[in-house]
Amino acid sequence: MTELAVPADQAATATETSMQQAVNAALRTLLAEDPATLVFGEDVGRLGGVFRVTDGLQAEFGDRRVFDTPLAESAIIGLAVGLAMNGWRPVPELQFDGFAYPAVDQIVNQMARMHYRTRGAAPMPITLRLPSFGGIQAPEHHGESLEALFAHVPGLKVCAPSDPADAYGLLLQSVRADDPVIYMEPKARYWNRRAVRLGEPDLPIGASRTVREGRHATLVAWGAMVHRCEQAAELAAEDGVELEVLDLRWLKPIDTDGLAASVARTGRAVVVHEAPLTAGLGAEVSALVTEHAFASLRAPVQRVTGFDVPYPAGPLEPQYLPTVDRILLAVQRTLEF
Amino acid sequence: MDQTLLDATGEPALRYTVGGAEPSREPPVLLVHGFGSDFELNWARAGWVGALRNSGRRLVGVDLPGHGGSPRPHDPERYTPKALAALLARVLDAVGAPEADVVGYSMGSRLSWQLAVDFPGRVRRAVLGGFGPVDAFEDTDLEGLERGADGGRFGAVFAAAAALPGADTAALAACARGQASQVYSPSPAPDGVPLLFVAGERDGIAEGVESLAAALPAAEVLRLPRRDHRNAVSAQAFKSAATEFLARGRGLSG
Amino acid sequence: MTHTGPTSERTFALPDLGEGLVEATVLEWLVQPGERVERNQPLVELETAKSAVEIPSPHTGVVARLHAEEGRVVAVGEPLATFAVEAGAGIVGTVPTEEKPTRRVRLRPPAE
Repeated sequence: MTELAVPADQAATATETSMQQAVNAALRTLLAEDPATLVFGEDVGRLGGVFRVTDGLQAEFGDRRVFDTPLAESAIIGLAVGLAMNGWRPVPELQFDGFAYPAVDQIVNQMARMHYRTRGAAPMPITLRLPSFGGIQAPEHHGESLEALFAHVPGLKVCAPSDPADAYGLLLQSVRADDPVIYMEPKARYWNRRAVRLGEPDLPIGASRTVREGRHATLVAWGAMVHRCEQAAELAAEDGVELEVLDLRWLKPIDTDGLAASVARTGRAVVVHEAPLTAGLGAEVSALVTEHAFASLRAPVQRVTGFDVPYPAGPLEPQYLPTVDRILLAVQRTLEF
Repeated sequence: MDQTLLDATGEPALRYTVGGAEPSREPPVLLVHGFGSDFELNWARAGWVGALRNSGRRLVGVDLPGHGGSPRPHDPERYTPKALAALLARVLDAVGAPEADVVGYSMGSRLSWQLAVDFPGRVRRAVLGGFGPVDAFEDTDLEGLERGADGGRFGAVFAAAAALPGADTAALAACARGQASQVYSPSPAPDGVPLLFVAGERDGIAEGVESLAAALPAAEVLRLPRRDHRNAVSAQAFKSAATEFLARGRGLSG
Repeated sequence: MTHTGPTSERTFALPDLGEGLVEATVLEWLVQPGERVERNQPLVELETAKSAVEIPSPHTGVVARLHAEEGRVVAVGEPLATFAVEAGAGIVGTVPTEEKPTRRVRLRPPAE
């Protein structure tokens, strides 16, 4: 038997766990609980994934349930669609965000609307695991943020965990759901270890989580930017400014109520994401705050984002990704408005 | 790098490969596999390429006729110990080695012995693995090999080799008959060639190797604990004893 | 410079040995748990129906666990050993460092 650092049966106790291990543990739980669950993609089987996320799964569950595919993203998702139509519960992986583009036709034209097209006859219980976002100084196509693209497509759910516990819980929810979910794993946080309990999800699909409470402004983020916002809030506290940090977790559907409630407490909102500014998900968050918490706002919603350029080569990442200084400057603009 | 040795008529006779460490002043090590095997299965997969590279030795590995990537004639005359030893000498010519150290296993040891006897001066030192003085074919029904007749001690070896994917049963049977046509004799012995015999302590084919070595002027024996004829070849003790023995170079002293 | 960065575990399963072989017997482990190994260093000797093979280590790292004792028959695909290897970012990229961020911007709290 393969041993892993985080057996699912230790879920009740807090264990030092990385996000890699948490996703691995969730996949083990899911493969064990439902024989219809299948894990496949490029290098996920024999190699155990380029990020080690599927390490040991093929040895434990066999190569009929955990298997390697050709290097053909459109075929991977097409396979998932066909399997789902025949009663399977596929969990395909596309190795890197930028390689989801070749599969967009299958994702948008088939996976997202098959349930609708068949008037409910063909549910699509597919969870597309997509290692996402930047922060590891990788080459082109390995640092993209596609959440706005997929959130825009009717029929898809989109989520992005920010820590190991949520990575575990969100993946259980995503795979158990009968709708297609884009599950975006923040690569830059794979190696971050935290003492967490891996257990059943404690929040419903679509719920956000307040990871830090504050009264002067709300920072809204997801994925790796949650950690960046926590760092900014820590520094702001040294100056006597109390920032709330809201981890959206679900990017489709967005927790409008949670968002409005937080802004109602703080009166200011700064949304932070890695994707380019124009038509990014920050615009959606800004619109929702304006529609649902307008009366509470003391300043226009600020956006701190990547730039409207292709994601840059590794050495330029620190200039592209939102920094604590850029976040604090945006906060200052809301404070001084 | 794979090379092909041609016979006198220009037809391919044998495939061999050259590897290991960079060329040096030390002679290369010629590796000769056993019956039903080939260079890849007998030596490369058992870890000998890395072991020889680490000890700084160039290696020449052959696939004997009827085996591996070499041609598979069905004529027993092509497989006599003398014929195959002559082919091995031509491999040494082809790689430009006036002399070589030789490591054989099982039938490859029989051929290494023959090479040293028939071509004085070409073999500097030899390690003979899985080998003994007993006639391996004494209880074998040589005519019944292809039919799977009860072939005694060698019959089991033949059956295992014939069962491998891609095996040419007729070529293997011809090889067995060619080998059996010239019964092994400890005399004459290679002149002035230090020998190291290595065998698993459970290797019945190596039976009597101790008395064979005792009768020779410069021979040593190493028995490998808990190993048998099939699994001795990968043993680390085999590799380290062989590389240490070959590193002693010229001369009969230990 | 020593690396004390994060490690991740990699499990090595019995590879396809070719020749239609579906299993092998563990003859002898050439490493022990806790031992540091280099990639391609001899890891284990196995015996198949045809021959003995020496399997090289697929990783550089520390041997965390061995999954089969000597003498046991292991099927192709079954785990042989687990390694703790220094985390690389997979085939591309680098593992980000966990540093406290520096800043230049100072905030003025709002008047209540």
